[in-house]
Amino acid sequence: MVESSKHTSELFWEDGRSRLHIRSRFMMESLQDKALIQSTYTDKEVQILPDTHLVHLGGASIIDRGRAALEPLLEEIVAARKRQQIVLSVGGGARERHTYALGIDLGLPTGGLATLGWMICEQNAVMLYHLLARHRAIQVPYLHFEMLPVYLREGSLPIVMSMPNYFLWEHPSRRGRVPMHRPDTGAMLLAEVLTTRSCIYVKDVDGLYAEDPKKNPSAEFISRIKVAELAERNLNDLPIERAVLEVLQVARNRKEIQIVNGLKPGALTRALDGEPVGTVIHQ
Amino acid sequence: MEPKKIGTVYSGLSLNQADTAYFDDQGEEISIMPSVNVIKIGGQSIMDRGRSGLYPLLDEIVANKSTHKMILGTGGGTRSRHVYSVAMDLGMPTGVIARLGTLISHQNAKILHMLMCKHGGVFVLRDSFEHLALYLHAGCIPIIEGMPPYEIYERPARGGRIPESRTDTGIYLLGEVLGARSVIFAKDEDGLYTEDPKKNPKAEFIPKISVSELIRRDLNDLVVERKVLELMQNARHVRQLQIINALKPGTLTRALNGEHVGTIIYAD
Repeated sequence: MVESSKHTSELFWEDGRSRLHIRSRFMMESLQDKALIQSTYTDKEVQILPDTHLVHLGGASIIDRGRAALEPLLEEIVAARKRQQIVLSVGGGARERHTYALGIDLGLPTGGLATLGWMICEQNAVMLYHLLARHRAIQVPYLHFEMLPVYLREGSLPIVMSMPNYFLWEHPSRRGRVPMHRPDTGAMLLAEVLTTRSCIYVKDVDGLYAEDPKKNPSAEFISRIKVAELAERNLNDLPIERAVLEVLQVARNRKEIQIVNGLKPGALTRALDGEPVGTVIHQ
Repeated sequence: MEPKKIGTVYSGLSLNQADTAYFDDQGEEISIMPSVNVIKIGGQSIMDRGRSGLYPLLDEIVANKSTHKMILGTGGGTRSRHVYSVAMDLGMPTGVIARLGTLISHQNAKILHMLMCKHGGVFVLRDSFEHLALYLHAGCIPIIEGMPPYEIYERPARGGRIPESRTDTGIYLLGEVLGARSVIFAKDEDGLYTEDPKKNPKAEFIPKISVSELIRRDLNDLVVERKVLELMQNARHVRQLQIINALKPGTLTRALNGEHVGTIIYAD
């Protein structure tokens, strides 16, 4: 049985030709009414790519290390791709930071910095594509995400650019001007909206520590932590962007993410097989 | 296996580090287009009225062309509401809903462009923004779609699934990043009321209010997207915006001349 529809296709002019409407549950609403907003919640959103892993390669932590780090890692990814559906995303890194530092010095606004940072991320995606082309990589601009199922089905290895397209519309931050929606956040947003099977951040650390392990080698390792608790701890440094945690807190689909060490052979493969190898951050 | 480093003060630092000079503003942020006025043409409030609502307003805009530089942005309106309603029913996530809504404000921008072409209206794609200065210098009126470009990168909404960043947000952020002279939301009510005046005619008019006060009041319904209030608190340039009743002849002109004719919301 189909429930009585909340929307129709009926058009009508309000009060003798003032506004032309389509009848729907949102008709004439400001869309700001709190009860109306709440009524749109569901935890049963459509499953878009539920069998696909999203693997994000850090910019500074992986790509900037060049061949030494990337070659073994990509071999591992190519091997895993034979068994698993994987979409690769990629961060910016040192040139992204340089861009922001220079841009801030010149007085550019946050939206300008976000527009510029995007291009560095694109460079890394281009390099990754050329490294993996012989393994059927394909670079997918976000406007072509509708092609992902085709690419995955025919055995391709899609590479997306996860710097989200906020550009000039990046939100100004309370402090400073570094854009808050950077590649880690884009990866989280993609994993959430595409309802992927996992969201794995490949970085150059095993995961989270209670303190910076480079400063205190006996710092306690955190293998699993609630995102709310992590936000509360307000750690001075994190291997992922803070906005990732904000998104994770309100996520409907991708309710946990994992940070793994891409410099340790086999770690990513084990994570793809569902093993907790690094730090899992969950809702 | 050390990462290759570029020698700036920040290169070795994580961008996430909370307490570092990295996050501090250094010097003043530039105003890219300090003389431009960014005007939102409401979707449901103006566009969906068709000829009777839109034509007089466009005439007024054209009449102001020689005195004021203007960029027009468009809202969505009833078609956005309809597609949101259908998409929600089908279980779509916020990001997909934002992508669908973008196409409606895009439609409205193209409609506006067709109407304004003869007066120098020029439709501007987001990645042609570097042409804005040229268009304005040539006396054109750039027209943009109001939705921000986030689409599937839109954050999941905190309450339901209606995207929090819609056309008010997109147009406000454009004004802010350009360091615009003013941001004006042309709607069909005199401004902000304690409740939706269309639902409760006794709702009280609020001529001027600070963002913090508005957030504190936590009104159940609002004429402006809540995201805009959030963003205004961090704004460097556009610290206030005005919501006006553009159906009243002359109101937009007075607002462009700097008069207080509707509701002014300001960051404190």
